[in-house]
Amino acid sequence: MYNWDFGIVFSNWNVLGIGLLNTIKLAALCLVTGLSLGLLVGIARYSKRKIFNWPASIFVEVFRNTPVLVQIMWFFFALPILLQTQINAFSAAFLGLTMNTIAFSSEIFRGGIQSIAPGQWEAGKALGMTYVQQMQRVILPQAISRMIPAFTNRGVELVKMTTLASVIAFGELLHQAKTISTIYFNPIETYTVVALIFFVLIYPGTLLVRKLEKRADQ
Amino acid sequence: MSYEWDFAVVFQNYDLLLLGLINTLNVTGVSLLFGIPLGLFVALLRLADSKWVSRSAGIFIEFFRSTPPLVQLFWIFFVLPILFDIAIDPYSASIIAFSIQSSAFFAEVFRAGLISIDRGQWEAGYAIGMTRKQVLRRVTLPQAVKRMIPAFLERIIELMKTTTLVSAISYSDLLFQANDIAQQTYRPLEVFSVVAAMYFFVLWPTSVAARGLERRLAVSGESTAA
Amino acid sequence: MEPILKIEDLHKSFGRLEVLKGIDLTVNKGETIVLIGSSGSGKSTLLRCVNFLELPSQGCIYLKGILQGTEKSMKSGKTNRVYHESQLCKVRTQVGMVFQHFNLFPHMKVLENVMEGPKTVLRISQKEAEQRALQYLEKVGLADKSQSYPARLSGGQQQRVAIARALAMEPDIMLFDEATSALDPELVGEVLLAIKELRDEGMTMIIVTHEIGFAYSVADKILFLHHGKIHEAGTPDEVLVRPKEQRTKEFLAGHNQFQIPQHSE
Ligand SMILES: Nc1ncnc2c1ncn2[C@@H]1O[C@H](COP(=O)(O)OP(=O)(O)OP(=O)(O)O)[C@@H](O)[C@H]1O
Ligand SMILES: [Mg+2]
Repeated sequence: MYNWDFGIVFSNWNVLGIGLLNTIKLAALCLVTGLSLGLLVGIARYSKRKIFNWPASIFVEVFRNTPVLVQIMWFFFALPILLQTQINAFSAAFLGLTMNTIAFSSEIFRGGIQSIAPGQWEAGKALGMTYVQQMQRVILPQAISRMIPAFTNRGVELVKMTTLASVIAFGELLHQAKTISTIYFNPIETYTVVALIFFVLIYPGTLLVRKLEKRADQ
Repeated sequence: MSYEWDFAVVFQNYDLLLLGLINTLNVTGVSLLFGIPLGLFVALLRLADSKWVSRSAGIFIEFFRSTPPLVQLFWIFFVLPILFDIAIDPYSASIIAFSIQSSAFFAEVFRAGLISIDRGQWEAGYAIGMTRKQVLRRVTLPQAVKRMIPAFLERIIELMKTTTLVSAISYSDLLFQANDIAQQTYRPLEVFSVVAAMYFFVLWPTSVAARGLERRLAVSGESTAA
Repeated sequence: MEPILKIEDLHKSFGRLEVLKGIDLTVNKGETIVLIGSSGSGKSTLLRCVNFLELPSQGCIYLKGILQGTEKSMKSGKTNRVYHESQLCKVRTQVGMVFQHFNLFPHMKVLENVMEGPKTVLRISQKEAEQRALQYLEKVGLADKSQSYPARLSGGQQQRVAIARALAMEPDIMLFDEATSALDPELVGEVLLAIKELRDEGMTMIIVTHEIGFAYSVADKILFLHHGKIHEAGTPDEVLVRPKEQRTKEFLAGHNQFQIPQHSE
C-alpha cells in the first residue's frame, strides 16, 4: 500500500500559488483579447465582401484545424527565427491561446449574428440606421445574450488549455507541479492535488455552461 | 532580416515525420475504438432510471470534462504506475487517458442524441412488445446516431488535436518527432510549419465534412412523426 | 366466455396527483368500447395502463383471464403488484396500440415498420414477416406504399400504417388514443373508416376519441370518464342521446357539432 504524504505539497503551497496565479492570468488575458478580436474576425467572416471574408476565413480555418500545442510550439520556436527576436514562454503561450480563442469565438459571433431574424436588420434600416449602427444597436445586443453559454464554454476550454504552456516551461500551475514532483519525487500527491485544484477552478464553469444552455433551450 | 528558408532538412527526415503521423493516427484511432463504446455505455448509465447510477455517471463525465487533459495524462503516466505498482509505457498511458477522456465527451454526444429522440418512439417500440434493449438497438439509437454524426466528427477532430499532448510524455507522435528534428537540425521554422500544415491537411477535410453533414441534416429537418 | 380484458379497481397516481381513482371495466371479445371525457380526465392514462406503458399504482388487470404482474406485499400492510420487463413485453404483444402522433419509425420503410414487431419480437422468419406485413398493409389499403419512408406519406396514410403495424402483431385487443386528432380534417375519414372495418371484422377495441359522431356509430358501449372515474356508462343511445348525469350533458354540449346520425341501417 502506498503511503500518502501531502505534507511536502502543502509546505510548497507558495510554489503552487504562483502557478495558479499564472494560470489565471494567462487564461484571463487570452479570454479578453480573444473575445474582443474574435468579434472583429467574426464580423469579417459574416461580411459578403471578399477582402474581409477571405483572410478571416483562412485565419479561422487554420487555427481551428491545427492543434493548439503545435501553435504554441510554433510561436515559441519558429516565430522568433522569422522575426529574429526572442519570444518568451509567456508571450508564445499567450499568442497561441489567443489566436485559438479568436478563431473559435469568431465562429460563435458569426453564428450568433446569423441567428438573428433578417427582419431585425430591415427594421434598423427602415429607421435609417447605418450598417454599423444596426450591428451595434440592434443585432449584437440580441445575439450576444444567445452566445453567452458558448463563450463561457470557451473560458472553460481556455483554462484547460493553459496547461499546455507547461510544455514550453511557462510557470503555470502544472509546470510548478512538475517542478515540485521532480525535486521531491512525489508525483502522486502533487499531481493529485493539482488535478483537484483544476477541478475546483473549472467545474463551476462547466456547471454554469450547463445552466446557461438549459436556460437558452427554454 | 531576410531568412533563408531551407526545407531540405524536412524532406530528408520525411520518414521520421511519417512515423510520427502514423503514431498520431494510431493513438487517435485506438482511443476512439475504446472511447466510443465506453461513451455509449456511460451515456446509458447516465440515462438509467436509478438515481444513483445516473448520478455516478454524471460525476464521471463532469470530472473528466473539468480537468485539463494534460493533467489527466500526467496523472495516469506518473501516478498510476506507483499507485498500483505496474509499468505503464507512454503509449498505454496515452490510450488509457484519451479513451477515458473522450468517453466522457462521447457520452454527452450520445446522451444529447438519445434525448433528442421523441418519447413516442420509445413508446411505439414498447407497444409492439420490444424490450428496452431492442428499442434502443433497433429504433432510437439508429435515429440518434444519424443526428450525432457531425458532433462525432467534431469530437474526433478535437481528439486528434489533443493527442499532441502525448509528446509531453515522450511518445513519438508527429509533434514529438517535429520537436526532435527541429532540435537536431536547428530548423524549427521549417519543421514546425510543415508539421502544422500536415495536421491541417488531415483535420481540415474532416471539419469540412462535418459542417457539410450538419447543413444537410439541418435542411432535411430530420423530422420524426408528423 | 372469458372476457378479453378485465380491470378491477385500477388506480394510477403521478406523484401526488391521482389521475385514475378506481376504474372497473370488462371488455368482451369483439366488443368496441369508446372512452370519452374532457381533457385531463385520464383517458390516455387508462389506455396506457392497459398495455402497461404506465404501471398501475394499484388494482388488477386481467388479460384473457390472466392476472398480470406478481404480488408483492408492502410495508404498509397493503399489497401491490410488480411488473417485470419480460412479462410486460409478452403482454404488449397481445395488445395493439395506435398513438395520436403515429410514432412510426422514420428510419424504416413502411414495410419495415410493419415487419419490425413480428420479426424482432415474435421472431418469425424474414419471409413470413414480410408476407404478414404486406397482408396488413393491403388491409389498410397501403400495399403500394410499402417501399416509401413514412415522411413521404400523408398524415392519414401514416396513421393507417401505424394501424397495420399494430395489427401485424395479431393482438387480442386494439387501443386507439385519439387516432385522428393530429390529422387535417379531410384526412380523418380514411382512418375512421379503417377502424370501423376492424370493428365489423370483430376486433376487440378500446377507442379514445373526440369524434362523438364516430363514437356513436362504432361503440357497443360508451364510457364517460370524469376526474379519473367512470362517471357514466352505457350504450351510445343511453350516454350520448339521453345522458343522465349533469357532467355528461355539459361535456356533450361542448361538442355541439355532434349530430346523431339518422338511423340508416
Ligand atoms: N407522465 C405523467 N406525469 C405526470 N402527470 C401526468 C403524466 N401523464 C399524464 N399526467 C397527468 O394526468 C392527467 C390525465 O392525463 P391524460 O393524458 O390521461 O388525460 P386525457 O384524458 O387523455 O386528456 P387529453 O384529452 O388532453 O388527451 C393530466 O392532468 C396530466 O397532466
Ligand atoms: Mg389523451
